[in-house]
Parts: sequence; C-alpha cells; structure tokens
Amino acid sequence: MRINLVLELLDSPGQLVKALEPISVYGANLVTVIHKRDYKNENGKVPVQLTLEGEHEDLKKVVDRFEELGFSIIELDGVVRKEKITTIFFGHIVDQDLRDTMDRINKLDGVVIVAFDIKLNGEEKSTALINIEADIGKKQTVFDKIAEIAEEKELLVINEV
Amino acid sequence: MDECKVIIMGFGSVGQGVANALSMKKDLIKDKTGVAVKVVAAADSSSSAISQDGLDEELLVKTKKEKGKLSAYPEFGSDKNGADVLDAVEYDCLIEATPTNIVDAQPALSLTLKAFEQGKDVVTSNKGHLALKFKEVVGAAEEAGVEFKYEASVGGSMPIINFTKDTLASCEIKSIKGILNGTTNYILSRMTSEGSEYEVILKESQELGIAETDPTQDVEGIDAACKTVILANSLLGIDATYSDVKVEGISKINSQAIELAKRDDYLIKLIAEVSPDNLQVSPRLVKRGSSYDVSGTLNMATIKTDLADEVSVIGLGAGSLETASAMLTDLISILKSKY
Repeated sequence: MRINLVLELLDSPGQLVKALEPISVYGANLVTVIHKRDYKNENGKVPVQLTLEGEHEDLKKVVDRFEELGFSIIELDGVVRKEKITTIFFGHIVDQDLRDTMDRINKLDGVVIVAFDIKLNGEEKSTALINIEADIGKKQTVFDKIAEIAEEKELLVINEV
Repeated sequence: MDECKVIIMGFGSVGQGVANALSMKKDLIKDKTGVAVKVVAAADSSSSAISQDGLDEELLVKTKKEKGKLSAYPEFGSDKNGADVLDAVEYDCLIEATPTNIVDAQPALSLTLKAFEQGKDVVTSNKGHLALKFKEVVGAAEEAGVEFKYEASVGGSMPIINFTKDTLASCEIKSIKGILNGTTNYILSRMTSEGSEYEVILKESQELGIAETDPTQDVEGIDAACKTVILANSLLGIDATYSDVKVEGISKINSQAIELAKRDDYLIKLIAEVSPDNLQVSPRLVKRGSSYDVSGTLNMATIKTDLADEVSVIGLGAGSLETASAMLTDLISILKSKY
C-alpha cells in the first residue's frame, strides 16, 4: 500500500537525512519526496511531502518512528491532523468585545474555535469554556495568542496542563 | 555507640511533630544507623529548654501544649532564644522548623548560616531562605563542608527532592508539574464535589484548620511558588528566585468555571510548573482520571525525565508528623553518610 504524508522539519542541516532514515530501516520504499527549503510554515519549520510504499505494518512502524523522533506529521493521506485545545476565560468577556476575541483566534492559520460555552453572571464577570482545533504543531501559537488577548483584556486564563 | 546531638528550632506544629516522631523512632534509628539521637535543645519564638544531657521529647511537647512556653520545661527551661541557643549547647545537627518568612527569610536564614559557620549539619522544613536565596544558602553549606537537607520544604511527606536526586539519578530532569499546595487542592476539590462557592469552602476550611486565618500564602499561590523555586534550583539546576515565578492563585475561581470544566471532563487544579522556559503557578485544567486527579489535601508531582519518561509521586503535603517524617528521613541519611 501507499501513504502520503507531510512532515515538519526544523530548518537545520541533516534534518532531511534523519527523517528519511526510518524508511529504509523498516523496509518501506520512498516513492516521492518534495522538500522546498525556501518555503516555511508559520512556525518557521519546513514542510516535507513524502509518498511511501510498503506493507501496512512496516509503514505503521515508520510513522510511529517519525513521531518518536519528534517530527510533527501535519497531514496523513490528505487529512490534516488536528490537536484539540480546551481553555477557560474568566472576566468581562462580553464587554471586552467577544467578537474580537473569537476573530483573533480564528484568524490564526489552521486554527478554529469549534465550541464556545459561556455562563453569564449579571453585571459580574463571566466564565467561558472554549474548544479549539488546531493543526498539529500549532498549539504554542494558540497559547501565545490566548495569553496576549488575556493580558490586553484582563481575563484570567485557565489552560490545560 | 555514636551519638548525634540535635537542636530543634521552632516548636510549632512541625517542631512538635519532629519531637513526637523522634520519641517514636529513636530505637529504630539506633538499629538502622547505630547512632543514638539526643535532643539537647528545643526553642520556640521566645524561650527554650536546654540540656547537654538530653531532653525528653514527650515532655517538651507536653510543656509547650500545656504551658505555652518551653521555658516552663522542668529544671532546664531557659529564656534564651534564637541564635543564642546555638551558642548555649554543644550540638551536631540543627533541625530548623521555624515558620517560613517570604519577606526576608528570617530567622531561618541567620540561624542556618550560623549553624554552617559552626560546622554543623542542618535539616530544614523552611521555604523562605530557599525561595529567596537558594544559591547563597546551599553555597554556604558546601563551603563549610556540612550537610544541608530540605526534603520537608516541598510536599510534606511526599518524596520528591531526595527521590529525584537519588532514585532517578540516571535521568536528566526535563520538567516537573504538580500540585504542591494541599490547602488549595482541598478547597478546589470540595468546590468540585459540592458545587459551592470559593468563599464558603474557604471559611469552612479555616474552621477545620486546613486553611490558616490569613490564607493568603496558600490561596494566592505564594506557598506553591516558593516550592517551585526550590525544585527549579535543586532538581533542574535553574538559578531562579521567588520573583522569577509567574503566580496566579485560586481566589478568582468560581463554581461556574468548575462546572464548565466538569462538562468537558476536566478539573481545575492549582498547578506548579517547573521547566527551563516556564516557572509558573496557576489554575489549570487537568483531565479527570489523569495523574493530576488527586483530591483533598494530597500533593502530587509528575517528573518528566529523558530516560524514564514520566514518573509521578503522591503524598500528604502537610501535617505535623507527615512533615516530620521527611525531616527524620533527612536526618537518617546524614547519620548514614557521616557516622
């Protein structure tokens, strides 16, 4: 069978060689590799597109090894892989332009708010739980944006451990 | 038979716990190490009891409880206090259990440094001097060539400092995340199980003696931040002090936040994070059923390492005998290595 995947590599020497090594180790065949060093993702990493051929078991081992080596697999067989992020805001969420808060998170590339649950408390501060889906490797970008918004709007943030 | 003469400085809950634990475990310590431990002095904030021939641990506790002052100890009561006690008697090890002071670390700082100058070992439960001047204090102990142990300063009976240093000696420590304050964990646990508001549970906790009359140190995360600094310095080699920790307490957490979290299968816990790029104490979401899901006054910590991946420890974070257990363990390890 064949699989297509997109890996993210650090932009430093030797990364591509390191990424290709598990393929031969586990007896899979490399069909295509597209590596354009001058194109970088938002996080400064270089995406590499690979097509591999081999037995299902061997391919699984290769993918597992990629993850062990710390390469993010951002796309597997055309499906963009997502991370789920849950966070709670506490403060004057509505008065501090809720629309703007949501827009700024949604505007991040590969990041989308999928659920939003708010408890209003009259004139008092309110509490909201937000579920976000982000492409693999985008978690820190989301946390940074949340921290920035929270500081500006004086919101307390309760992030996941 | 070798003998180790100790002074117990500070005779509140922890100091009394040490006296009680010593009276229970003296024989065991003698069997294990071949060293007889003798309490030659004990001091509270205004007075002391001093005898070169040794004091009775149970009588010390009884005197303090009934008369309120150690100077009332039969025959050997004294008005000496503080550093003067260290000059009044010959001793080998200072067991320092004075209250934590996060402003100037006194009296723990000067007592500890004086003991080092006198060439004595020190076991402490204090967080103030470690959180404010870790490098200075540990450096002074090294210079003096004495032992300085502080397991009891973090997590009460929960083993973490010696555990990580000795048992995980093969590993590099990447980060530590955990619940390092029992009072706040108790409050948050009860808010979660009962749906009550913060103020209500805080008041009840104060009535039960779990929270102090002035709960600021616990609920505003100050206590956990001190422990964060101690772990950062001692286990991750980060040269940090109290002001380097980002601190947010639990006083803003309401029942609505807890309810929303619950709906998504999360709990809210006050988590201390110790890693090279983040020293932080803040309320965080933890998955129900994860290793962070411990309730009541329990403390826990997950140590992330390079070889052993994640290792977690859980234990009672406070309490008189519980904290004393950590101090006695430190004392025993000194006896084993030096006698």
